[in-house]
Amino acid sequence: MTLSYVLFLAGWQVASLGGLVPGPLTTLERVLSLKPGEVFSNLLRTLYNGVAGFSLSFLVSMTLSVLAQKNYVIRGVIRGLSEMFNSTSALVWSLVLVATLGVLNPLPPILVVSAVTAPHLLSAVTSAINSVDKGLVEAVRSLGASQFDEFMDVLLPSSVPILASASRVGIGTALRISVVAEAFGGGGGVGYMLMRSYNLADVEGVLAWSVILFLTVLAMDKLLAYLEGGARKWQS
Amino acid sequence: MAVLKVLNVHKSYKEKVLDGITLELRRGEALGIVGPNGCGKTTLLRIMAGLEVPDSGEVIREAERVGIVFQDNRLLPWKTLYQNIALGLKYMKLPASEIRERVMRYARELNLSEEELSLYPGKASGGMKKKAAIARSLALEPDVLLLDEPFTGLDVKTIDSLKGFLGEVVKEVSTVIVSHQLEDLLTLTERTYLLTHRPARVAYELNLSGKGLRERVNLVREALLHLIEEVDQDSNPQE
Ligand SMILES: Nc1ncnc2c1ncn2[C@@H]1O[C@H](COP(=O)(O)OP(=O)(O)OP(=O)(O)O)[C@@H](O)[C@H]1O
Ligand SMILES: [Mg+2]
Repeated sequence: MTLSYVLFLAGWQVASLGGLVPGPLTTLERVLSLKPGEVFSNLLRTLYNGVAGFSLSFLVSMTLSVLAQKNYVIRGVIRGLSEMFNSTSALVWSLVLVATLGVLNPLPPILVVSAVTAPHLLSAVTSAINSVDKGLVEAVRSLGASQFDEFMDVLLPSSVPILASASRVGIGTALRISVVAEAFGGGGGVGYMLMRSYNLADVEGVLAWSVILFLTVLAMDKLLAYLEGGARKWQS
Repeated sequence: MAVLKVLNVHKSYKEKVLDGITLELRRGEALGIVGPNGCGKTTLLRIMAGLEVPDSGEVIREAERVGIVFQDNRLLPWKTLYQNIALGLKYMKLPASEIRERVMRYARELNLSEEELSLYPGKASGGMKKKAAIARSLALEPDVLLLDEPFTGLDVKTIDSLKGFLGEVVKEVSTVIVSHQLEDLLTLTERTYLLTHRPARVAYELNLSGKGLRERVNLVREALLHLIEEVDQDSNPQE
């Protein structure tokens, strides 16, 4: 883990000697020279887009997989849609949505994140539902559980391990995708800043914002891994 | 007076499991059910508890609440033993103080310590889990209790203390016990039904009240052997 970072930084340093790319130290200086307010507000925008898009996709997947349980026609339709969505690139969604909704509309990044993460989540939720132990459902029913109790005490907790790891992967993906969509809009976010630096031929700026994005995704992943561990504390 | 009646119940999954079972549980009695592996005893109990619908036939319940303790306990792995015992009480929406009072009462009667109650099932012993599963059903104060193989997988000492406890329970709750362990079963029950191999029918109804334990065990064992011989004759007609 540490070794891979050292190797990466060393490689970067060597590449920068030719003068084509700014080196890691120059980039770090640039990161530190950015206005904290600017960094904070753009990061917040990206996190918001990522988390909102992911949550939307989570709700949609939950609803769809509950519907899919009920009827095989719906199940077929959902599977088809899922394949379609899965074969469409984040770039295509970004261009189409920004072109139709407008550059200043705040929705495209959120919708793009949802469109790209939904198929993965959907299959995670479906496998979570299928892995529920029917015996436990029957046991809580024999104790007088309502459907809501069943959901809260059996369905949800037995899905937590699958959903938690899917969410961890999903949120990381969501942040990286949100950035693509932001690049084409005017609503701010790390992606917007990346694109702006690029348009100004500011390579140092591009690298600085990339580093910020990288560290954020990494931090989110660590945080979610920690929460995931907490959610599994009953497993010996 | 029957508190629960099973009338000509049939049930098939991939193959026929129950083939016209008729039996009754009388109020206040401890009833035994014995039968070969896989003959359909668990299925029968699930039907008696209303967790499974028979293909045909009828179940008549005079009981207000039927409690069932599953062969494999079915404790929720993400809840501690305490929380598992409290489940049904939570669903009844009892006040927290009463839930605590009842959980602790049954835990005490079954010799589960506070420390053991705080364990998750994954870290508890087989005995603790079985006791928690029994406490979970009893905490709801059912008027019929169905016990599916309550003694399997337990050590001698745990079985003895469990038998002592159940001996008190059966004085107050009409109880059905399914078990392959005849001695343990027959210490607790009087009337006993013997089921045939799958698809299960009632082969014998034995009324063993007034007989000593040895005699009960011998009678049931003989009847079981007789059943197995019948099956052997059916499948080997040339002998
Ligand atoms: N939900 C179900 N779906 C399909 N088949 C089932 C189901 N429940 C039981 N069976 C089948 O019915 C038969 C009887 O099972 P059951 O568990 O009732 O037997 P049992 O007498 O309790 O056996 P054991 O002595 O091993 O506990 C078995 O062949 C089993 O595979
Ligand atoms: Mg069984």
